[in-house]
Amino acid sequence: MKLLAITSCPNGIAHTYMAAENLQKAADEMGVGMKVETQGSVGVDNALTEKEIAEADGIIISADKTVAKDRFVGKRLIEVPVSDGIRKPEELITRFKTDDVPVYQGTGNKETAQKGTSKSGQPAFYRDLMNGVSYMIPFVVIGGLFTAIALAFGGHATANGIQIPKDSFWYQVQQIGGLGFQLMVPILSGFIAMSIADRPGLAPGMIVGFIANTGSFYHSDAGAGFIGGIIAGFLVGYIAKLIKMWKAPKMIQPIMPILVIPLLTAAIAGGIFILVLGHPIASLMTGLENGLNGMQGASKIILAVILGAMIAFDMGGPFNKVAFLFGSAMIAQGNTEIMGPIAIAICVPPIGMGLATFLGKKKYAPEEQEAGKASFTMGLFGITEGAIPLAAGDPLRVIPSNMAGAIVGAIIGMVFGVTDRVPHGGPIVAAFGAVSHVIMFFVAIIVGVLVTALMANLLKRKVKA
Amino acid sequence: MGLFDLMSEDLIIMELQGNSKDEVMDELVDKIDATGVIKKKKKFRKALDGREKESSTGIGYGIAIPHGKSKAVEAPRVAFGLKKEGVDWQSIDGTKANLIFMIAVPEKAAGDTHLKILQMLSRKLMDEDFREALIHAENKDEVITLLKEIA
Repeated sequence: MKLLAITSCPNGIAHTYMAAENLQKAADEMGVGMKVETQGSVGVDNALTEKEIAEADGIIISADKTVAKDRFVGKRLIEVPVSDGIRKPEELITRFKTDDVPVYQGTGNKETAQKGTSKSGQPAFYRDLMNGVSYMIPFVVIGGLFTAIALAFGGHATANGIQIPKDSFWYQVQQIGGLGFQLMVPILSGFIAMSIADRPGLAPGMIVGFIANTGSFYHSDAGAGFIGGIIAGFLVGYIAKLIKMWKAPKMIQPIMPILVIPLLTAAIAGGIFILVLGHPIASLMTGLENGLNGMQGASKIILAVILGAMIAFDMGGPFNKVAFLFGSAMIAQGNTEIMGPIAIAICVPPIGMGLATFLGKKKYAPEEQEAGKASFTMGLFGITEGAIPLAAGDPLRVIPSNMAGAIVGAIIGMVFGVTDRVPHGGPIVAAFGAVSHVIMFFVAIIVGVLVTALMANLLKRKVKA
Repeated sequence: MGLFDLMSEDLIIMELQGNSKDEVMDELVDKIDATGVIKKKKKFRKALDGREKESSTGIGYGIAIPHGKSKAVEAPRVAFGLKKEGVDWQSIDGTKANLIFMIAVPEKAAGDTHLKILQMLSRKLMDEDFREALIHAENKDEVITLLKEIA
């Protein structure tokens, strides 16, 4: 008989290896083949190969930490705490001999392994979210920095925004950046879904995330942005998990994770997004547009509050798009007073959240601190999306902070009559000479940034090691 | 590199005074603190207690390995204490702990040599002959000779 085992414990310093040692010893004494993969603080040692898994008669997972099990679908598998591997390895091995070990169906009984010790001790919701965010960050960074460089070196300020001539080298650079932004939401959704439902969640998660982010699927002028992506990720994840629960006939079992679950999930979740959620998003945009147009005669301060809030709320989603298009339309009508406050609000979230990560290092995971540096830089170029990784990781605390800072900045801009004749935001528009009252423009940005950074750090909790 | 590179004679207590898990932890923390690698004793202690709360590090066989990973630790250290009559560690098998290894690990450290050493220690402790020899060691020299085997 050939068995395989995986051992893992919360700190990965001691118990992982004790269990490995005893499982190996017990197997040697009982004349059973055994290889133990250890997942400890040094990383994975003695990793099991696909061939070994295929040839093994059974798998023992002795862990107090989540161990991915999708490699073991169709294998007989026991899952026990790490202490059992240390204390009663013989008993575990004997269970395979007496044949009382069930075959792992890939039905995702994650909970049995978790024992409440997810990596950060946070609730599952945040763990799933952070899984998506950590994979998304490099995409945002590539998207943002390529776009920023292209704008800075190849951009010309025009009435239609900062334009880069199509035949120039910088246009290609901007295209690459655009690709990064296009992929970031699908990646976010995909890896949220994968965190919930394991590997079968990835493909439908990415596809429905793409739908969520692409308005043309549901006759909307703009996609649902990263918030839509988060919704898509959870929707797909839970649907996939639900389908996994189904005890499929033996014949179908092997194709469940690669065929049945992804297909059904993509069909159901994609359908829900297009038919159920898409229409409200499209009508929301129309409603917002009409609302803003009706506001034209109203108090400028109230308008600034609404525009600031909308720009910062979903950073590239429908609210942001409508506010931005409203400002652009006003420029076309010769009114540059609206775009001024918008240009301020655009850069407050990324610069503010960047500053927040510099000031409160303990409140951000290492990858968030990296995202913070990129976010700060993107803010200087008016790329609001820079703040998305930080907002997506903790939306309920970060989005209100972003909105508060953007509102304050927009009000200051409106009161002092800051104008902007180029539909774009952030310090870069001042560098292009498109802004009036430049000093107040920067004062408004700085005050807004401080509000966002301080509020976010006040609300956020320490990240546990 | 071996286990004793993370230890010193001063980090060995042949007769632990404490009669409870808490007292024994204090004794060992003080020893490690005396070597000057702990920035904030309280913080390190908190890391240890946090780990014990997740599940007791008393894994039976008379062994307990309280370990803490913390920013308050500047360099990895291992302290060892012997308690012949044993101390209650809420062990899984209900036995008392006689061999107590306290492990201090920094949050971020250069390389993973120390983790590999701790891995060797963990594996070695599963060896019954080794445990017996440690428990019956008469003096520090004997303990040191045994611990130097882990390399």
